[in-house]
Amino acid sequence: MNSSHRHQRGVAVVIGSGSVKCAAALGLVNVLNRAGIAIDMLVGCSAGCLYATMLASGRTTAEAAEMTKQLWTSTITDQHNRRAWLKAAFPRLFGFDARFGLRDDRLVMERLNAAFGDSRIEAMGTPLFLTATDFANGNQAVFSSGRAVDAIRASIAVPFLFSPWPIDGHLYIDGYMSDPLPVGVAMREGAEVIVAMGFDSPYQEHISNAGRFAFQVSAILSNNLLKSQFAFHGLAHHAEIIPIIPEFKQRIRMFDTEKIPYIIEEGERAAEAQLPYLSRLLDAQAAVAASGTA
Amino acid sequence: MEIELRLSGGITVVGIRGSVDGLTADDLMRTLSARVSEGAVRLVADCSALDYTSSAGLRSLLGAVKLARQHGGDLRLAAIQPPVLRVLDLSGFTGILKYYPDVEAAVVSFAEPA
Repeated sequence: MNSSHRHQRGVAVVIGSGSVKCAAALGLVNVLNRAGIAIDMLVGCSAGCLYATMLASGRTTAEAAEMTKQLWTSTITDQHNRRAWLKAAFPRLFGFDARFGLRDDRLVMERLNAAFGDSRIEAMGTPLFLTATDFANGNQAVFSSGRAVDAIRASIAVPFLFSPWPIDGHLYIDGYMSDPLPVGVAMREGAEVIVAMGFDSPYQEHISNAGRFAFQVSAILSNNLLKSQFAFHGLAHHAEIIPIIPEFKQRIRMFDTEKIPYIIEEGERAAEAQLPYLSRLLDAQAAVAASGTA
Repeated sequence: MEIELRLSGGITVVGIRGSVDGLTADDLMRTLSARVSEGAVRLVADCSALDYTSSAGLRSLLGAVKLARQHGGDLRLAAIQPPVLRVLDLSGFTGILKYYPDVEAAVVSFAEPA
């Protein structure tokens, strides 16, 4: 049987938050491509939005890897937002408000605009869903239409670092704050088989400043949220969620783009381990579907 | 997936080999439910040869645990391999299931006061 037309139905791919580690999703997609397994929908959260959008727009995994190197460098957080520091120190004098972020986001916006321009989510070749978190109430927000750049910017609005992002009169922050691995979106959209690539937030080796302290707190919250949400969705879903959790033996920091080949390799390795089962599952589903239509 | 049943010190040891997933989870649940119905409510799942569990597999394991506990017993896991342990941990199962490094420790645990 030819694998390229073996599977009648495809899978939903969910790419969780994980900064540059999300590039492992490119390894997953390489494995799916080689096996002839189609992707029916893509869901992205935080940096996972970058990859979900690149892939949904038809870019190859090699192109997406290359784009990451242009987009995701430490220089995007180099510029301090001096007014934000003043607002934090003298809130009344400088008018502290909800659009607080300690880093200037002009460079990241410039790069997102260069990469995606005015591309719209609803116009992507593969159905795309990008998640963020409503800053007013903590609810998960799912963007299935609108400018991709806005949804991505909202979803990577790491609290304290980048300011919440306004879309249609609401402010949004990083998607990981509501669900670091949003498989629930794929469930809601009717996916039967969900391949979910998620990542633990790394804990700090040394807590030597307030920033690291904040990242440690955030990692604890995020990792516990990941577990609880994944447990709930795993038990609630009637079909299958196949978790693919790459194991990185090297420490990957937020902007380690030089490690992308290694990250992709680990993504491939983790996906290859689940491929035999995924193929059997899709074959079984295809057989059931064929018997139903025979 | 292959299931092998044996008795050890009055405890039913369920050896699970292969993958517990959407294609096999019902078989596992049926086997475990049947044992519990027959009164074998203290069970140990020998996971040394279990190489994968998906969300469907987790649901069947949880169902079996609930059933065994409802009948006054328990299903405890033993010798979980690292890839499976990662999925159990990610799913929060390590917080609600008892698991042990090997079958012997899991069997002995039933003799310990709760």
